Amino acid sequence: MDQDILTTLKLLMIGESNVGKSSILLRFTEDEFYENMQSTVGMDYKTKQVTIDGNTVKLAIWDTAGQERFRTLTPSYYRDGQGAILMYDVTDRNTFIKLETWLNELNTYCNKTDIVKMVVGNKIDLPNREVSTEEGLQFARRHQTLYIESSAKTADGVKCCFEELVQKIIQTPGLWDTHSLRLPGNGNTGGARQRIGKRGLQLTDDYQPQEAYSSCYCSLV
Amino acid sequence: MDDVLDEVVSTEDLMKFERTYHEQLQTGNVTQKVQFEYAWCLVRSKYPADIRKGIILLEDLYNNHGDNERRDCLYYLAIGNARLKEFSKALSYVRSFLQIEPGNQQVLHLETLITKKMEKDSLVGIAMASGVIIGIASILGLGIAMARKS
Ligand SMILES: Nc1nc2c(ncn2[C@@H]2O[C@H](COP(=O)(O)OP(=O)(O)OP(=O)(O)O)[C@@H](O)[C@H]2O)c(=O)[nH]1
Ligand SMILES: [Mg+2]
Repeated sequence: MDQDILTTLKLLMIGESNVGKSSILLRFTEDEFYENMQSTVGMDYKTKQVTIDGNTVKLAIWDTAGQERFRTLTPSYYRDGQGAILMYDVTDRNTFIKLETWLNELNTYCNKTDIVKMVVGNKIDLPNREVSTEEGLQFARRHQTLYIESSAKTADGVKCCFEELVQKIIQTPGLWDTHSLRLPGNGNTGGARQRIGKRGLQLTDDYQPQEAYSSCYCSLV
Repeated sequence: MDDVLDEVVSTEDLMKFERTYHEQLQTGNVTQKVQFEYAWCLVRSKYPADIRKGIILLEDLYNNHGDNERRDCLYYLAIGNARLKEFSKALSYVRSFLQIEPGNQQVLHLETLITKKMEKDSLVGIAMASGVIIGIASILGLGIAMARKS
């Protein structure tokens, strides 16, 4: 089953309690949604295999609890993270304000300096919005992160969010290829890495992220 | 790592939270927060003795905590016991949790996970038992063969 897996990527989901981290993850992995989703205890973990641009990667996704009483322990999970989803609820300004703190915490505890970050404004299906898209985008630009808006309820932007994050990680070879080098390489992996390498070069020569993501519904920085 | 039961605490974390716990222990006043954090590390240790210690600390907390902390205790009591292969005990904690919060996705998922491990474990048990039977049978066979020769 894993003969063609390019690498395993460690992704983190962080943000205030109740913003919808677990809901987005459940929509992504199981395509389910629960109105009465309950608050995560400590940390939850799910894996999923995805194929992006012909490359299959395994995602190991760590869904951390946003509740205050877990705050001392969750940063331990940031270690070796290659991608992070920083989430807020567009109908709750306070969760947007707190994003700054979460970002600082991530920068403090994650040892990978080039970890790819994606800011996600969730619950766009609700009418009572408190944070505009423009504000979200501004925050993302200021901190040089990706940006997307989503709804776990309607599934808007969910697939896109993970796909773009993974795409960006794969385009940052130093972030993951040393990892796969540790494995005894077989022909397949080597070939795929080369392919990626070339593609990465092409992209840096003529950098047009919008084009690469044109199939997506969402806006990008 | 395949699932939450495989997750192992880092040595630094275990030592860090152990130190804080012992510092408080010496002053004679351990806060529930510090006890929980240390227990959370212990039940994720690779050493069964640590896990057992973590379970004792969690059981103690469970009896003295508010509602919120109780669900945390139940969850990690289930994890700790499952890691010790005390599957029925683990499942009983899962079920107490589900009594408070029916339909909790994280815990329902943990329940399936534990049930699967339990089945796998008992299958291995059966395989080992049948291995022993084959062993005995072949010794008996050998005995018969030897009896025939003489
Ligand atoms: N309308 C709507 N509700 C959502 C959406 N996403 C999540 N919810 C609801 O928001 C609540 C909290 O969602 P969770 O996924 O548990 O939030 P969380 O960020 O994981 O919270 P913690 O685990 O405590 O950190 C639940 O009742 C969900 O049903 C969404 O996109 N739209
Ligand atoms: Mg959650």
